[in-house]
Amino acid sequence: MGVNERAVQLLSSEGRHPTPRYAGPSGGRSSFLNVPFPSEREASIALGSLAPDSEPRKGGISKEMCTAGNILNVKWSADEARILRVSVGSFLDHLALVLETMLEFGPPVPL
Amino acid sequence: MTIVIGFEGSANKIGIGIVRDGEVLSNPRRTYITPPGQGFLPSQTAKHHRGVILTVLKEALQEAGLKPADIDCVAYTKGPGMGAPLVTVAIVARTVAQLWDKPLLGVNHCVGHIEMGRLVTHASNPTVLYVSGGNTQVIAYSERRYRIFGETIDIAVGNCLDRFARVIKISNDPSPGYNIEQMAKKGKRYIELPYTVKGMDVSFSGILSYIEEAAEKMLGSGECAAEDLCFSLQETLFAMLVEITERAMAHCGSQEVLIVGGVGCNLRLQEMMGIMCEERGARLFATDERFCIDNGAMIAQAGWEMFRSGQQTELSDSWVTQRYRTDEVEVTWRD
Repeated sequence: MGVNERAVQLLSSEGRHPTPRYAGPSGGRSSFLNVPFPSEREASIALGSLAPDSEPRKGGISKEMCTAGNILNVKWSADEARILRVSVGSFLDHLALVLETMLEFGPPVPL
Repeated sequence: MTIVIGFEGSANKIGIGIVRDGEVLSNPRRTYITPPGQGFLPSQTAKHHRGVILTVLKEALQEAGLKPADIDCVAYTKGPGMGAPLVTVAIVARTVAQLWDKPLLGVNHCVGHIEMGRLVTHASNPTVLYVSGGNTQVIAYSERRYRIFGETIDIAVGNCLDRFARVIKISNDPSPGYNIEQMAKKGKRYIELPYTVKGMDVSFSGILSYIEEAAEKMLGSGECAAEDLCFSLQETLFAMLVEITERAMAHCGSQEVLIVGGVGCNLRLQEMMGIMCEERGARLFATDERFCIDNGAMIAQAGWEMFRSGQQTELSDSWVTQRYRTDEVEVTWRD
């Protein structure tokens, strides 16, 4: 499979540009992100790359990540929108880096 | 035959190196250079690293003439260093380790410097002076740890030099320390500065404040030249480092000194350390900028030693840490 085709798949139609959704009462803020990958394996690699580091800020925010099939699900809860924005922004930078790395150095070798 | 790839990006350098049984196969690097008068901040440095890391990785593989399948282990810097750049580099290391199905290994940056210095110079059991923009330590090996005999109690020696360079607006290209070194050669007058050795430890922040103030007064009035200040600062800082290194050698009965870290490629520091070594009948080991300054091969080399002694890092334990002392690492690869 060519790099371009894989690029299309990685940012596939359902998840063109992942859009965070905001919800929750006026005090606290939550956000969700669902990122589809070409396969379960790639979703789990992304989880493995993005999950180990905890949020740099102590308190005020929590982030949970898991995979369901080929989808990487991320959920944030934060006290303030400002803190949430910083965390989501930094997560998207990291996610983009994982995707680029997969494009350049993938696909994953068969296990 | 064991081949390890090492990822380093704890400060403003991003480097990826490949080592095969003591042989450096490739070691490309990029430096984030800020305008004169400005230091590098975590988020901008991380952005720089994100922009070039995959190009550097391609270069590392190409120069070594290797395919991912040839690699046995992926090593990366776990810490110490700036959080955002560390995370950036760790994320790529984790991703390729998983894509290629290779074991991962988190390496202590300081231990990386020491192991690279030992590899390049063949020093067997040296007293180590580790001097860089973020660290200043005198280290000796004993009982499976690199033990810290002396260190800075405030800022690192390289940080003192970098910040002075910002005060007098010296270029950060190729590095502020290099440019101070060149200017110091033209210094004619020694301006007396505070000399702050505290037992086995050193303190640099007071010297920085003093010279910042002196620079404003003396340069403004034409009392001395910027070159004189560069010269005086280097002489004072390096004399302090030589003093604590010599004392550590006396404590340990050591006859070898190894200088590592970015400031270690300063030839005046090497010269002053060389004089002390000659007086004691000891040997000095130092490396050039390729291996002194942060690079990927040093992480690969320390990773090689760790991997061969049976260590690996599980993904869930692969978090990075801004604080990670040299003596926290159990040295499983030395007797």
